[in-house]
Amino acid sequence: MNNDIFEDLKKAIKEYDTEAAASLAKKAIGEKIEPLKLLDAMTVAIREVGDGFGRGELWLPDLVGAADAMSAATPIIEEEIKRIGAKRESLGTIVVGTVFGDIHSIGKTMICTLLTAEGFKVHDLGINIKAEQFLEAIKKYNADILAMSALMTMTAPEQRKVIKFLENENLREKVKIMVGGGAITEEFSKNIGADGYDPTAPGAVKLARQLIGK
Amino acid sequence: MLKGFTRNFKPLEILTEEQVESIHGGTLDVLRRTGIRFESEKALKLFEKNGCQVDYSNNRVRFPEGLVEECLRRAPSSYHVKARNPENDMIWGGNTTYFQALSGSQSIDLETWEPRTPTRKEFHDAITVLDALGNVHIVPWYTPWFGFKNVPPVMAMPEGLAARFRNSSKFICANYSMDCEVFNIEMARAVGAELRTSMAAAPPLTFYSDAVESAYRIVNAGFILLLVSGSVYGGTSPSTIAGSLITGNAEIIAGIVLAQLIKPGTRVIAQDFSFPQNMRAGSPAFGDIAISLHQAAFNQIWRKYDIPTDGGVSYPSSKKIDYQAAYEKSILSFTGALSGTNTIWIQGALYGELAFHPVMAIIDDDLVGMIGRFLEGIEVNEETMALDLINDVGPIPGHYLSKAHTRKWWNKEQFVPKVADRSTPPEWLKLGKNDCIDYAKKRYDEIISTHKVDLPLTDKQESDIERILKEAREYYKKKGLISSEEWDEYKKDLKSPNYPYE
Repeated sequence: MNNDIFEDLKKAIKEYDTEAAASLAKKAIGEKIEPLKLLDAMTVAIREVGDGFGRGELWLPDLVGAADAMSAATPIIEEEIKRIGAKRESLGTIVVGTVFGDIHSIGKTMICTLLTAEGFKVHDLGINIKAEQFLEAIKKYNADILAMSALMTMTAPEQRKVIKFLENENLREKVKIMVGGGAITEEFSKNIGADGYDPTAPGAVKLARQLIGK
Repeated sequence: MLKGFTRNFKPLEILTEEQVESIHGGTLDVLRRTGIRFESEKALKLFEKNGCQVDYSNNRVRFPEGLVEECLRRAPSSYHVKARNPENDMIWGGNTTYFQALSGSQSIDLETWEPRTPTRKEFHDAITVLDALGNVHIVPWYTPWFGFKNVPPVMAMPEGLAARFRNSSKFICANYSMDCEVFNIEMARAVGAELRTSMAAAPPLTFYSDAVESAYRIVNAGFILLLVSGSVYGGTSPSTIAGSLITGNAEIIAGIVLAQLIKPGTRVIAQDFSFPQNMRAGSPAFGDIAISLHQAAFNQIWRKYDIPTDGGVSYPSSKKIDYQAAYEKSILSFTGALSGTNTIWIQGALYGELAFHPVMAIIDDDLVGMIGRFLEGIEVNEETMALDLINDVGPIPGHYLSKAHTRKWWNKEQFVPKVADRSTPPEWLKLGKNDCIDYAKKRYDEIISTHKVDLPLTDKQESDIERILKEAREYYKKKGLISSEEWDEYKKDLKSPNYPYE
């Protein structure tokens, strides 16, 4: 029975079925299945989708569809994890967001999916995120890495502002910072004092591992 | 007056009349049923006053069909556009097509093909090239580049506009961002030119306050408003061309309604800036054939609305000046022209939106010459049919090379490119195996060393521009949008003995 529900949950993610993923998560919690194992099963499924994307067999709509299905189930499972006080193992915790003034989300969603598939605990703050919101999330989740996206030349300097803000709040040294997005270059990332930059989503995953030495 | 190119034959019609009606009906349905989100209290009130259904809880405006039709009628179908030099004025609309340069955020190295930030001197030189190219009729916003070295991002637009006015007398455009349109309008007035500025939707079905505020400023200044939907089909609009045309047209029409309510008769132009999504990278799939299909349908539908179009944006996906760039740019611009658009962006772009190079612009200018020649079509009359001549020359050994008719007509019928290699193979070997890139580099050097703008700014205009730039710098410094590091770098440029040129 348990095995079936794990397989069904994986299938729901691989078939981009948001409703099925959410209802299976609820059902599994109702049946007192260990929530951490449910998260692991979903991570396996999303990794398979991510690998398919990496091999060029799956495309962006597949990746985003699978991520949506996982996102529908995750809060239900996380609530249970919190309720029973379980501890989740992960490579590290990453806070991700598109900077203030910028509403582009596709690149960020790709990164979040691939980082999750890799085994990171990802907190996607969304788009149009102010420095104060990044700061708050870093503190709240005790993040190892902050990942910021900016697609436009006009909004790229916002990344510098966030880094300065973290410096002023004495939080810069506690977190590694990686930046990306259409408007960002290696040179720019160095100038603003980021710890790393990569123009591709798979490259960003490797970078995240490097930054925390894993 | 710049003539541009006149299309002397029926435009390509890719949709049937029924299909046009279906898409139009779908557009009206979206405008009426779902409506458009406008993040502007001022605009919401204006829409409400004019009969739209406005929901202030989510800033949603639903448009009655009658108002839409009325506002589309109010927009002029053809109009005069004023450049700094009256010789470069244009008339947009009807069966004329004008071409404009396409910008990039960075330059590229022609040896390594890697992107890099252009210098102030390169920025000014590239505008000189655009001014010299005969088939660049419009020098738009962000051209040649989004900015240049040492200029704070927030000053890129005013500095870019000043540089375009200083180095070209053609019709110049500037866009909006962080209130820069206030300075842009002032500058245009100081040099006696009009501006075209965009009002860009944030797809799907949304206009943010900065776009709306800029539209009010541009319309009230009496300038030209370009309405644009920059959707990415499969991302911010449906993945189908028909569905994407509906959302894009709904956004553009909503913008036109606003412009016509602010000031009836405002000159507008509808732009198709939509691309399919690159489903690997998430970026727009520049150079894709779906863009041509979308643009051809767009141009056909907007011809029915009788409003000038900007439907031939020709960004390649290629990172190099190569075969791929050539076929992507050729197909896009040619189908845009054949389907009857009034303005086409092409000269200079590479790498999607990410790069511009003046050498590419020089090569593109030949491509535009070929397209323009095609648009003019075939003249069929007594003289061109040359019946008397044919009967006079007769069979071999007769020939046409020495005839006055040939001397008069040959280079009216062919287009002679400036930098294409058309040498014979032995000549080509002897001349050092040059290709169009080699010839374009030589032409670049020639233009930079010889070309001067035909109508330099007067001393008064120059001092006005400098005063406005100074105001802009103060404004953005006060607003905290120029950091002290940015200001330190910028200051060095401002103190350069060759400012503003290097």
